[in-house]
Amino acid sequence: MKNTLVIDLDRCSGCDSCVAACKHENQMNLGVVRNHVSAVGPVGTFPDIEMYWLPMQCQQCENPGCIEVCPTGASYRDEETGIVLVNAEDCIGCESCLTGCPYGVRQMNPKTNVIEKCTLCFQRKNDENWEPACVHNCCCGARIFGDLDDPESAASKAVAAAGENTHYLYDPADLKPTTVYILSEKTAAWQEEPVEVTRYEKQ
Amino acid sequence: MSKTSLTRRSFVKVSALAGAAATVGASMAGCMQESGPAEGGEEQALSSTEGLTKVRTSCHGCIQMCPAIAYMKDGVVVKLEGDPEAPVSRGSLCIKGLNQLHTMYSPRRVLHPLRRAGERGENKWEVISWDEAITEAATHIKDAIDKYGNYAFFSSVGGGGSYSFMEAMTLPMAFGSPTVFEPGCAQCYLPRWSMSKLFYGGDDQSVADNAVQEIFKVTDNKTEVVVIWGAQPSVSETAESGRGMAELRAAGVKTVVVDPNFSPDAVKADVWLPVRPGTDTKLLLSWFRYIFENKLYDEEFTKYWTNLPFLIDPDTKLPVKAQELFPDFAQTTPENTPAYVCFDLKTGAVAPFEYSAPADSAVDPEIFWAGEFNGKQYKTAGQIYKEEADPWTLERTAEECWVPADRIEAAIKLYAENNGGIVNGVASDMTESASQVPLGCMGLDSIMGRIFKPGCTMTKKASGVFGPTGEVAAPTRPLTYNNGFDGMFSDMYGVGAVIGLSDAENEARIKELGEKMPDSQRILNKLLQDRLGMKDHKGLYAWCHSHIPTVRNAIATGEPFKPRVWFDMSGNKLAMLGNAKSWYDVFPEVDYIICQYPHLTSFQIEAADLVFPLREWLEEPMVNMSQLDTQWLQNECVHIGETVSHSIPAAQVVNKCRELWGGEIPGGLMPGYLGSATEAEVKQSTAETLGAPDWETLQANIDEYVPHVTPDYWKYNQHEEIADDGLPVGFGTESRKVETYCQILLKLARNGYPFCYPEPQESCADYSPICVPIEPAESPYEGMPGYDAEYPFVLTSGRVPYFHHGTMRHAPFSRELFPCAEIRINPAAAADLGIEHMDWVKVTSRRGEVHARAYLTEGIGPKTVWMERFWNPECFDASQENPTGGWRECNVNVLTKNDAPFNEVYGSYTNRGFTVKIEKSTRPENIWVEAEEFEPFMPTTEMLAEAQTKDVF
Repeated sequence: MKNTLVIDLDRCSGCDSCVAACKHENQMNLGVVRNHVSAVGPVGTFPDIEMYWLPMQCQQCENPGCIEVCPTGASYRDEETGIVLVNAEDCIGCESCLTGCPYGVRQMNPKTNVIEKCTLCFQRKNDENWEPACVHNCCCGARIFGDLDDPESAASKAVAAAGENTHYLYDPADLKPTTVYILSEKTAAWQEEPVEVTRYEKQ
Repeated sequence: MSKTSLTRRSFVKVSALAGAAATVGASMAGCMQESGPAEGGEEQALSSTEGLTKVRTSCHGCIQMCPAIAYMKDGVVVKLEGDPEAPVSRGSLCIKGLNQLHTMYSPRRVLHPLRRAGERGENKWEVISWDEAITEAATHIKDAIDKYGNYAFFSSVGGGGSYSFMEAMTLPMAFGSPTVFEPGCAQCYLPRWSMSKLFYGGDDQSVADNAVQEIFKVTDNKTEVVVIWGAQPSVSETAESGRGMAELRAAGVKTVVVDPNFSPDAVKADVWLPVRPGTDTKLLLSWFRYIFENKLYDEEFTKYWTNLPFLIDPDTKLPVKAQELFPDFAQTTPENTPAYVCFDLKTGAVAPFEYSAPADSAVDPEIFWAGEFNGKQYKTAGQIYKEEADPWTLERTAEECWVPADRIEAAIKLYAENNGGIVNGVASDMTESASQVPLGCMGLDSIMGRIFKPGCTMTKKASGVFGPTGEVAAPTRPLTYNNGFDGMFSDMYGVGAVIGLSDAENEARIKELGEKMPDSQRILNKLLQDRLGMKDHKGLYAWCHSHIPTVRNAIATGEPFKPRVWFDMSGNKLAMLGNAKSWYDVFPEVDYIICQYPHLTSFQIEAADLVFPLREWLEEPMVNMSQLDTQWLQNECVHIGETVSHSIPAAQVVNKCRELWGGEIPGGLMPGYLGSATEAEVKQSTAETLGAPDWETLQANIDEYVPHVTPDYWKYNQHEEIADDGLPVGFGTESRKVETYCQILLKLARNGYPFCYPEPQESCADYSPICVPIEPAESPYEGMPGYDAEYPFVLTSGRVPYFHHGTMRHAPFSRELFPCAEIRINPAAAADLGIEHMDWVKVTSRRGEVHARAYLTEGIGPKTVWMERFWNPECFDASQENPTGGWRECNVNVLTKNDAPFNEVYGSYTNRGFTVKIEKSTRPENIWVEAEEFEPFMPTTEMLAEAQTKDVF
């Protein structure tokens, strides 16, 4: 199974509802996130500009670098669902996996000394209609969850409908991320190495 | 331990849950479960909601109130999500809604009545009983009225997280006072809402206030283009109108966005017009000019269904009645449907123009005509509009509005060539052009014939946003009642003329009402005459509100009377009122200030003498604002402390006052205050609105009663149906047509008609009946009045998705994502000032200075800056060495302008489109920006252990 997210950037408005939904569902501390949304742009010069938002979370890679470098086997792929997970009991908080993941979507939770990452709300897998909290509450209908190995899944259908407008994150290490981003030129040009605009406390 | 030294937390009941709750601190959900959600390595065969109780409710994180589902465990709400059955939001729930989990159980909640224990501003409180609190409030009000008269009392509302619009409006009526205000109203929605009633008697174009529904229809949607004029639904109403817009765009609907800021809706727009703040009137006139010149308008609709072909008397500015120019003219239509005059293309002569179906018209009216008749020069209303628009070529507009000419043209073509309509938001309400922009937006849709048609925004549905406004089964000549939502106070107290009745019919009606209720009519009519600011800004009558700056001046000077006892029904006035310091300065002039809110804000800290604790939306029964033809229940999911529903404190105070006076409040109106006094009443009225006989039946059968569907909600072409007088139904205006030349505004200015009636208001300068160009009072152009080289940037404002008005600044998951005030600055302009991304800057206007972090973006023009309202509850956190009220540091309303020029009709002041200067600065002390700093705002074990409590009243 290839359970993953398909995210339609033609729809995403950067409202951060997915971040709050994730944090409440997964009981995250302040300062710790399993997903975030980056503003990419605007690029160009006012008023001839374009931009999109890039929701980021575990890309559910086919060749996950995080698993490869984990010294305890805490990072693993669930056989049944194909989802990359962290076994909290085996995680020693060494942060090795951060070096194996180029996407910055794993974070140490200092209160538990365990790595946090998107599980696609694995705790919901026995729900009648399993969908992650970020997908359920998305205010743009931009997030679709499903099995890309199943051509009848909503995710597969969305990818098929998007045609050439599908994109994957930059992948120089051949990790083969499975998360699909849909973005058409009408909204903005896809940037292979996007410059993300963020908020932070300037030192 | 003395009573005053007790803190709120000392009163917290510690239950057995507290022990379990203490084991995990991450989130409130975790507090109530033995461990976090099961992940890898754990076998879990159960559904993630196993053991949780599911309760259907509605969010109230903003005014749109999306249907939502709450999950409960052991009496605590542990999870919220959107209700997938909601037709527009479709399961979406935005960050404001999701974070109610934290505001509900926030350590900042007020759970018991509080009496101020130190000086105002010291943030010292003692908990008192409800009996003490009600008696204390009532005694202060009674003493003030006995000593100074009824006008000593005043109320207010507005600012987010408050629902007391009707309550604030009617509370002064109970006390025989004319004074109520809110920082919304003239600054938020009233101008657009009220203008639509005067313009055509239909629903307004607000995409923010559930008025526009047609474009979001799920089936049989005929919308091809939406022009979003000064609104950002994806930010302000993220889960409902924002979701709706996302679905429309995905379905191929074209959009034009008029917004100085590159909002998410602008990002996705086919054409973005980054208009210079406050110059929308000029841009609108360029659209009129282009549409007139290129004959893109709907000629038949404009000729027969608008008043633009009417000849206008140059002396009175009113349309000429047929009898005035043709004394022998025998009108065949009823008295309530006047005949006017046009230039008839069939005969080439000026002729009477009687109301009829287009096919039955005796004349072919010319829309644009100027000429002489009987020795006097006349123009048609259409000609007047055309001449007003004429200077606004694409080129001149491009120069003055800072938008490229080819973009304006592309936008107009997209609008004209596709079926759809214009939607708007608060942007224009926050400027001097508050009446002229809606006149222009509705004017454009009217000349395009986009009214009462499928796919349009100007519609009249079977249920209006604030109550039933639908046609009756057998159509009659449409009427528009005035004073209050749906003109509700008109029949209740016998004031106000009804638009659509003849003069004689209005006189007879008001006489009859006066005989039936002489005291009510006399008292309310007098209140209308004496209301502060009414002489000049009579449009405020629509919601019975006073003019805010005039109220402030009355408090400061005692002229013409001094408001002394204040009952506020919402959140942070200091963050919401324009020129906040000017208000702070008059607080000492107010003898006693009563507040009600679920938590303490700057306003309560700096001003309140007494605070009533209110329920959060997870605790209060209500009916939501509707999505399409459905209405949903906001449920009582939980209830902690001694909090009450929003209508109850004032109702209890009014009852106590009546008791203290021995029955009736002298000079007060009956019924006066409209609001439930007990939770049982609140629940019963909620149940009845949803069609259930009582609350218990509703709760036992929620899926049967919710959603409540309004039958025959969608109505089209109703103006063409034949009414009982044999004529087409038409519109609820004097002329029975769409009054694109809004003639009633002239009468309004001259004597308060149709609101202040039968006894009139003093006259003021005429209001413009059409969109006219307005240059902001603080112009960035050298040589213009109001120019000051010291302040080179034009500041405008708009929301961010994390907050609704003044809400959620104490919601930790909102603050960690958007920790402090930001000002969006163009990188080139910032470079000139040596400012880098995320530098702290000081923003200074002619009123004051505040601080914000610079967010550099090409999404704003080089001479424009953009900043959302902010206030900082961390400033009075117990951990601060030098606590402050948290409203001076980052609050854009320290900068805003609350003096003249005001919008002529509504008295709106300038929240947007004034000028500022920007300099580098440093972070103000007390302001938190790092995620971990917000830990004191997280739900505490004590709050989660609060027992489920019984209704107080």
